[in-house]
Amino acid sequence: MTQHEQPNLNLPSTQFSPSVEADWQAGKLLMIGESYPENTYEFFAQIIEWTEKFLGQEGRLLHVELRLSYLNTSSIRAMIDIFDLLQEASDSGKPVSVSWLYDSRNPRASELGEEFKEDYTFPFEIAALRS
Amino acid sequence: MTVFTSNLSSLREFFNKERILICFNGPISRTLIGEIGIALKDHIESTQSRESAAMDVFGVYIEMSQNIRHYANAMAYGDKEASATVVIAEVDQGHYAVSAGNMIELADGEALLNRIRHLATLDKVELKQLYKQQLRQPKQNDQITGAGLGLIEIARKSSQPLEASLGETLQGKAFFSLRVII
Repeated sequence: MTQHEQPNLNLPSTQFSPSVEADWQAGKLLMIGESYPENTYEFFAQIIEWTEKFLGQEGRLLHVELRLSYLNTSSIRAMIDIFDLLQEASDSGKPVSVSWLYDSRNPRASELGEEFKEDYTFPFEIAALRS
Repeated sequence: MTVFTSNLSSLREFFNKERILICFNGPISRTLIGEIGIALKDHIESTQSRESAAMDVFGVYIEMSQNIRHYANAMAYGDKEASATVVIAEVDQGHYAVSAGNMIELADGEALLNRIRHLATLDKVELKQLYKQQLRQPKQNDQITGAGLGLIEIARKSSQPLEASLGETLQGKAFFSLRVII
């Protein structure tokens, strides 16, 4: 189990960016928090790269769990890049799924998830964390 | 001119009369944008019953102030030119006005005004269509004004058509201001 074969990502959250846990073994990518960094591209590049690598090398399920309460527009653009990768993998027969979990006190987070979901055909669950 | 205690008192009166929650005038840093944003969100969450208002004010404020920062960076402006004026006030019936202004190149200002006038004619459905289109555009299209997708998002969150103007002109630059009612 060398790092080279199974790279994980562990980024703590900051004021401007969500925490990120990408677990290669588990086939799981988890992001929690708000995202409005100024250097959106740099921040998301590592997540996009990890996702691309996993989908390229593995044929097993990649589950993406997102608990994102706010995204600025450049983060939304970056998320689209990740969802596009998932769609591409799904189109070529690989199992992928997304859970979009939102705080029921934040209706905007639910709407954001719905707007993402409508552009994709892979399993995309939207659920409230608190009711 | 120095701010004397008497001026401060009249400033306070003005802020109170205009129901200004938070305002800022000067060079705006990444950290400052974040701190003002958090204070703003906390304040509105603590007073407001309409749950989405805090997120909408926060979102519009973030897009506006980041647009100003990106523009100043792209133009390699110094501190003085990179200054922003940001005012968040309460208006009637639980609505908020988010206003921000900065000095920009006159030609960019005119292009922005045209764009905002166009956005102001679109309804929510048309704005969503445009938003989805823009989301799929190469990022380069945004770079000149830094205000492509962000501006559409702002228009979508606004409860009234966007209001913008170009003020005082100086050496080919003009003060651009945008007001959004949430």
